[in-house]
Amino acid sequence: MLYLQVLINGILLGGLYSCIAVGFSLVWGVLNIINIMHGSLIILGAYAAYFAFTLLGINPFVFVPIAGVALFVLGYALQAGVINRVMGAPVLITLTLTFGLNLILENAMIFAFKADYRKVIIDPPLGLIEIGSAFVPRDRLYAMLLALLLVGGLYAVLRTTRIGRAIVAVRMDREAAALMGVNVPRIYAITFGLGALMAGSAGSLMSVIFPISPLTSVAFLGKAFVICVLGGLGSIPGVMVGGIALGVLESFGSLWLGPDYSTTIAFVLLLALLMFRPTGIMGKRGFE
Amino acid sequence: MSERLLELTGVSGGYGDIQVLWGVDLAVNAGDMVCLIGSNGAGKSTLLRCISGLGVWSKGRIAFAGRDMSGRPAADIVAAGIVHVPEGRRLFRGMSVRDNLLMGAYARRDGAAAIRRDLEVVYGIFPRLAERTGQDASTLSGGEQQMCAIGRGIMAAPRLLMIDELSLGLAPRLVEELGEALIKINRTGVSILLVEQDVITALELASYGFVLDRGRIAIAGAARELMVNPLVTDAYLGATALAVS
Repeated sequence: MLYLQVLINGILLGGLYSCIAVGFSLVWGVLNIINIMHGSLIILGAYAAYFAFTLLGINPFVFVPIAGVALFVLGYALQAGVINRVMGAPVLITLTLTFGLNLILENAMIFAFKADYRKVIIDPPLGLIEIGSAFVPRDRLYAMLLALLLVGGLYAVLRTTRIGRAIVAVRMDREAAALMGVNVPRIYAITFGLGALMAGSAGSLMSVIFPISPLTSVAFLGKAFVICVLGGLGSIPGVMVGGIALGVLESFGSLWLGPDYSTTIAFVLLLALLMFRPTGIMGKRGFE
Repeated sequence: MSERLLELTGVSGGYGDIQVLWGVDLAVNAGDMVCLIGSNGAGKSTLLRCISGLGVWSKGRIAFAGRDMSGRPAADIVAAGIVHVPEGRRLFRGMSVRDNLLMGAYARRDGAAAIRRDLEVVYGIFPRLAERTGQDASTLSGGEQQMCAIGRGIMAAPRLLMIDELSLGLAPRLVEELGEALIKINRTGVSILLVEQDVITALELASYGFVLDRGRIAIAGAARELMVNPLVTDAYLGATALAVS
């Protein structure tokens, strides 16, 4: 029954991981930007939720849409004001730019919030659900369900709305999209904004589960990277599969080798996958 | 005399240091189907890109329906009613035929009902697209892809439809079918500027033609006259013309 518990833990974690990675995948797929800031945007969302909780008493689950909208505005402004200036440049230039922006954001957060770990403690605790001999913590369950809802929502936006279609069209053929009257720089800004929205929402959910500190942003960036490669770039179902796969693998890895190895396992997996199946589990062209 | 819809006066243009077009004068009257012919590399596609505001520098005046459109970004050109069906179709892969058609209507502001109505118009002109509405556009045959690209253009509710290389890579029977569709579209009041390497097809469809040679308009005239003009027949038709006559 221990294995069942570990599996449940892994799936709960994995749902959150998909939400962490989906914005990173979208920005990479559509804008061809490897957004080094992604981890810091998650942490920023987590801090916003933490302060909303401790200072204003707003439940982090309720705060998710607020964090999302705030981060969307920040992301849109960054892309429209800064990153759009180098969009024609090789990927190394945009990588360097987001690396620099990340240094600014990360250090600003260390300066403003200190590097101490903090965590939202919901009192009284939400408790557990018993399934046979296994337990499902309610806070993690709600976080996972909300995370999957957000990922599903993004999928629906891309598939069924006018702006969503334009985002996919820009990803496929920027010039043909311009011929349809699409304002491409604006679509870039909306896409980066959506990536930041998903990061902020994920951060808000995470503040309930993980201790947060500006120093943990790199770990989340790493996970987002692994999940994208695992699931295949440019596919939302792929990100969901990749996220849950990583969650489950990390859970079993911690069980067998100890929790210290969970990141090592993730990156060993990444290397193995890059060697044997570089397109990922579900990778193909087209943002499905 | 019908109204001038598109008028180019002394348009030069190119890419970076390379000048492709040298003082082109060209006009399309409202309701007409006009063709632009010329050999590979004459600058036909570059001229369309100049009009569409697509990654080309240009000088000179481009007027549309009396308004100066020179140097305007692509989105403004589409909003004004000039729609460019690019060479090679350039459909959005991974998107269904229907979603490709709806992308054509992206810039429209006249509401969902009008867009749905035009979707039915496109399916009426090209019934094969209606059969394949949910299919990934990249899996269509070449002819169907060209239908989808033209349909996507119509979805923008254009006043002027510019089609680059209608016939490229297609079987003669399909080209004929597409030509008939263009005539139908033209009859609904949409003006057409057809760019072609296949001179016979172009001159049969259009009422007026321009011949572009090394970035300059070499000859212009009624299609019927161009068809028998020795300068055109010698340079572009060759033995084919003799076979036809």
